[in-house]
Amino acid sequence: MAERRPLRQSLGDSADDRLLIEAAQRDRSRFADLYELYFDRIYAYVSRRVVDRADTEDLTSEVFHQALANLDRFEWRGAPFAAWLFRIASNAIADRSERLARERKIEPPPESEEADQEEAQDQARAFRMVRELPDDQRRVVEMRFVEQKSIKEIAGALGRTEGAVKQLQFRGLENLRARIGGGNG
Amino acid sequence: MAERNPFEQFDIAVEAMLSGAEPNSSLDRSTRELLRIARQIRHMPREAFRQRLMTDLKEQTMASATITPTVNPIREGFHTLTPYVIVNGASQFLNFMKQVFGAEERLRVPKPDGSIMHAEVSIGDSIIEMADASEQYPPRLAAIHVYVDDVDSAYQRAMAAGAASLHPPMDQPYGDRDASITDPLGNQWYMGKHVTKGNVVEGMRTVTPYLHPVGADKFIDFLKQAFGAVEISVYREWPEGPVVHAKLRIGDSMIELSEPHGPYQPIVTGLHLYTENTDALFKQAVAAGASPIFQPRDEPYGDRCAGVTDPAGNSWFIATHIKDVTF
Repeated sequence: MAERRPLRQSLGDSADDRLLIEAAQRDRSRFADLYELYFDRIYAYVSRRVVDRADTEDLTSEVFHQALANLDRFEWRGAPFAAWLFRIASNAIADRSERLARERKIEPPPESEEADQEEAQDQARAFRMVRELPDDQRRVVEMRFVEQKSIKEIAGALGRTEGAVKQLQFRGLENLRARIGGGNG
Repeated sequence: MAERNPFEQFDIAVEAMLSGAEPNSSLDRSTRELLRIARQIRHMPREAFRQRLMTDLKEQTMASATITPTVNPIREGFHTLTPYVIVNGASQFLNFMKQVFGAEERLRVPKPDGSIMHAEVSIGDSIIEMADASEQYPPRLAAIHVYVDDVDSAYQRAMAAGAASLHPPMDQPYGDRDASITDPLGNQWYMGKHVTKGNVVEGMRTVTPYLHPVGADKFIDFLKQAFGAVEISVYREWPEGPVVHAKLRIGDSMIELSEPHGPYQPIVTGLHLYTENTDALFKQAVAAGASPIFQPRDEPYGDRCAGVTDPAGNSWFIATHIKDVTF
């Protein structure tokens, strides 16, 4: 297993992040920059705890709406911005957990809050890497794993042979492994 | 049988993973790594969702930029509802509240003749406003539910200050010890202390206006339509019977009411109601059956204000604080 960065450090806001947060606090239209920066992490965090994709989207949406509405309340004392967002997410999930648990749409309790946040960061990095793949590989990877389409459906949609789609799938994942650093599984 | 190419072999492993099968232990290390990455990606957000949420947030940003006023629409220290007592003898009324309820004077604007044009006192977390009656503003008394630290001693102070007793302190089945009096100006005070769960009942302010309109049911409907009141509780002695006690929330405040009974008869009351948009609420109240007293207008003290009379004859002063003014 690869050495993990200490969480506090990895969650910490860089000077650039801090400027973005301060800018958004002054001018809400700058919140879009923060959204771009933190969206994947929060989505990944929620998706680790909530099974259903619609619930994950709903809760992620709630987190960012709440964050935008309460941005003035975030202060530079101790916890970094990501931790603040994770807390909002964790509360939002807890609020719904009773219903979701009843519908069996919630994951078993996570190993730990800290591990969960860290995994969410790794996952967010993988999401970002997917978006940076060559276009044909990206489309196949997204359709196959995110939209969970069959090879046949993808081949039909992209006008490629099934063999070509399988090859793009393989190359796409290999490419990701190389970019992410691989070997830490 | 021809050997499958690596892309096909890998897809078989992918297919198994996507269908939820346990990972095959015979898979080589490289394939296992690729599958681990694939598992992570399965939870990747849909691009359409990412874009849609971004658009929603932009809309929220724009909406808050257009409606966020430069100042809090509720003037500092106020809640949504505040009793506004207009009385012949505002100064005497003010002193009575100081003596009995420990009210603190926060503002007094005198007229040249020394009478009070406008005054405010705070009692606990609430404010009561008052003015001397005039031709333009005839008397508007009130029935006020007030939480006190000690009902018995407040009752004694009230009696010593010239009040008339409606009922002496007693423990009530609903968990309050309370007493009622009429002050020398004619206002009714229901003084309570919640015995079982701390002094003030959850959601209630120190001061809550209490109305006794004839036809309380219809009046409740009016409050809902005119001011967006939300029914919290309605008690009747028997189903379909008259309203014995009702509690409604308007904004961050409560209003209580009951059908008139015994000494608790209608008192034409003045109420100050803060809202984010005076013009809109004025329109809504009139559409619900209120009669305009005056149209929305900007007042020199920094509020945009409008006046309506409800079907029971009470005056409502609807206001939005639009700028801070130093008196």
